[in-house]
Amino acid sequence: MDNGATMHLAVSPFPGTAEPSSGAEPDFSHLARFVQRAEAAGLDMVIFADSAPASGSDAANRQMPFEATTMLAALATVTSRIGLVAAASTVAHQPYNLARRFASLDIISHGRAGWNATMAQAPREAANFSRPDGFSGDDFRRRTEEYIGIVQGLWNGWDADALKFDKSDGRFHDPEKMHLLDHKGEFFSVRGPLNVARSPQDTPVLVLSGLSDMDIAARTADVILLEDGPLESTKARYDDLKRCVAACGRDPGAVKVLMNVSPVTHGTAKPTVADSMEKQFRSKSCDGFNMLMPAQLSALDNFVDLVLPALRQRGLFRESYRGATLRSHLGLMVGGAA
Amino acid sequence: MTAAPRQMKLGAFLWATGHHIAAWRHPKAHVTAGIDIDHYIQLARIAEAAKFDMIFCEDAAGLREANVGIASQTSRSIGFEPISLLSALAAQTSYIGLVSTASTSYNEPYGLARTFLSLDHLSGGRAGWNLVTSASPIEAANFGSTGLRPHADRYERAREFAEVVTGLWRGKPGGASGSGHDGQSFSVRDALDLPRSPQGAPVMVQAGASDVGRDLAARTADVVFTAAQTFEEAKAFYDDLKGRLAAYGREPDDIKIMPGVAPVVAETTTQAQEKYEELQELIPDDVGVALLSSYLSISDLWRYPIDGPLPELPPSEGMQSRQALVIEQSRRDNLSIRQLARHFAGARGHWRIVGTAAQVADELQARFEGSAADGFNVMPSYFPGELDAFATLVVPELQRRGLFRKHYEGRTLRDHLGLKQPV
Repeated sequence: MDNGATMHLAVSPFPGTAEPSSGAEPDFSHLARFVQRAEAAGLDMVIFADSAPASGSDAANRQMPFEATTMLAALATVTSRIGLVAAASTVAHQPYNLARRFASLDIISHGRAGWNATMAQAPREAANFSRPDGFSGDDFRRRTEEYIGIVQGLWNGWDADALKFDKSDGRFHDPEKMHLLDHKGEFFSVRGPLNVARSPQDTPVLVLSGLSDMDIAARTADVILLEDGPLESTKARYDDLKRCVAACGRDPGAVKVLMNVSPVTHGTAKPTVADSMEKQFRSKSCDGFNMLMPAQLSALDNFVDLVLPALRQRGLFRESYRGATLRSHLGLMVGGAA
Repeated sequence: MTAAPRQMKLGAFLWATGHHIAAWRHPKAHVTAGIDIDHYIQLARIAEAAKFDMIFCEDAAGLREANVGIASQTSRSIGFEPISLLSALAAQTSYIGLVSTASTSYNEPYGLARTFLSLDHLSGGRAGWNLVTSASPIEAANFGSTGLRPHADRYERAREFAEVVTGLWRGKPGGASGSGHDGQSFSVRDALDLPRSPQGAPVMVQAGASDVGRDLAARTADVVFTAAQTFEEAKAFYDDLKGRLAAYGREPDDIKIMPGVAPVVAETTTQAQEKYEELQELIPDDVGVALLSSYLSISDLWRYPIDGPLPELPPSEGMQSRQALVIEQSRRDNLSIRQLARHFAGARGHWRIVGTAAQVADELQARFEGSAADGFNVMPSYFPGELDAFATLVVPELQRRGLFRKHYEGRTLRDHLGLKQPV
């Protein structure tokens, strides 16, 4: 029976920390088992970083040798319920291409995909993308904001009932229900529409991290990731954000705040984890947690066996999935920010 | 010891509901293909069971047709983005190669090299990249306001792009020199943060058939996809391209030339002909003329009488080689705009064979043994039926004749194609 709990739990495996695979080839099946275990535990989503490290010098030590969106597509075919979120850089991709990639991932996963965008510029990255001087902090912020608006606009280019599939009439889609974006901005010009259908969960979930102010998050995000901190400051931050969201004309519940925590150290779940999570959650300083851990089954098992039962016993985390899409796991209305 | 007999290579070119423009209207076509991943997994398994060398996906970063009324009568305005599609298929297949098209005009080499290398790792060495330069102004409008670059500029950018990508795949920072790349269009500082490919490097495919396109292919491609209607055209292209390889220090066998073929196959000749006619009848005139216009890179073909001849056309900044092919055919066969539109709507300018398995095999064998092709990229009219028909009727016939493998001999795409591992 459903316990009515509302806490959200995500897991973020660190890059480069998978258990060494037996063969010389990088091991997708190991990663698949990790995500399947997280799914069996009923977690809302797995969030994958996509670090192209500052230098290629540590390439040999990297043990998840996959770019995050391609990895996510493969994982989508070996899971059925858990949300799958990938980081993708606004410097590495053109907004049209990124919007397409995630719209496609969302259809492949039957509505379980999310894009983790960051407001923080990765050092050195721009130098590999024909921008040797990078962007100034202010340019990067304005560019990213424009970029996110384009991506969300493209995701809304097709109405939910646009596809007709009418063989006898010869009408594949209703042209009235396909919308051009016609964006002309400071950094980008994108006509649209996207050539991928609308997502089964309306639009992929937008997860924002690296925030220095809450404005953009309040306007556009579905989920934000924030650092852990003392209760007084996390509580004030949360209240401030929810006020901003309301000021933007959105339901304060439309943005979920997840706090980054590290519940497992040296392979063992910290004994006080469930207590500290309960305290932060009950005092309404967050809507849930993003658990950073190595991509090792033992670390995940430790959390699932030792911490998760306590959270469920206390009525904090739901017993099982309530729906099929990532938006339904997160209790988000379809559509996200328009 | 004698060398193993040369066998043909086969690609399964997957596209939307089928390659025929009206495929989606066919009663047996899977109309929701563009939103149904299970459909693609089924197609991949059919192709793998038939021992195809690879799945091939084309791509465009935008709508295919500017006229929204025309676009809404085709199934091509929506579909999967191919790199995510093939990454999903990588997890559901074990042997078949996975080749996706991606544009050098709307990507950066570091990101593209990294993405394809990741697909290569996910699939255990089965990835390939089909380089295109993108000739559509509809795509250009999704990437800035400056419009389509001139043909020569696109190819110069593509040449530099390919050089950087091949360098990165060989573990070098930013290109062949090994000390970063600072060129006309791109600058790249670091090596990729992923290990080397299980097959040395992903396979490089190209499709440009213009003079500058052929030179780029001779320099960098492992596989060339091309369109040729007649044996003579196919043979001329084959000899020309193989002849260009020596200038780049390469052997003729270093490139596999795989023209597209659009077969309609059935148990009897009459059934095959009926099947073809059934599809042709489903093409609305305005859709056929619009498709022909896009191949000719002109926008006002509808102004001319549909039962009259093709007007004189100036050269375009779009796909020059395809345009020449269409014009040549119209003059040769004395076709009206309507006839030409229907003809091209059916096979998109590719070689069409309508017949029994034995007849299709005869035609393929003649081009293969006449050294006009190393294999074929098979373009089924509609899915899954026509891929299945080729797999269950034509492939066994080719195997009986010793022209195609019965088992995969290796695990990587380079193994299947008989390509050297790059150092």
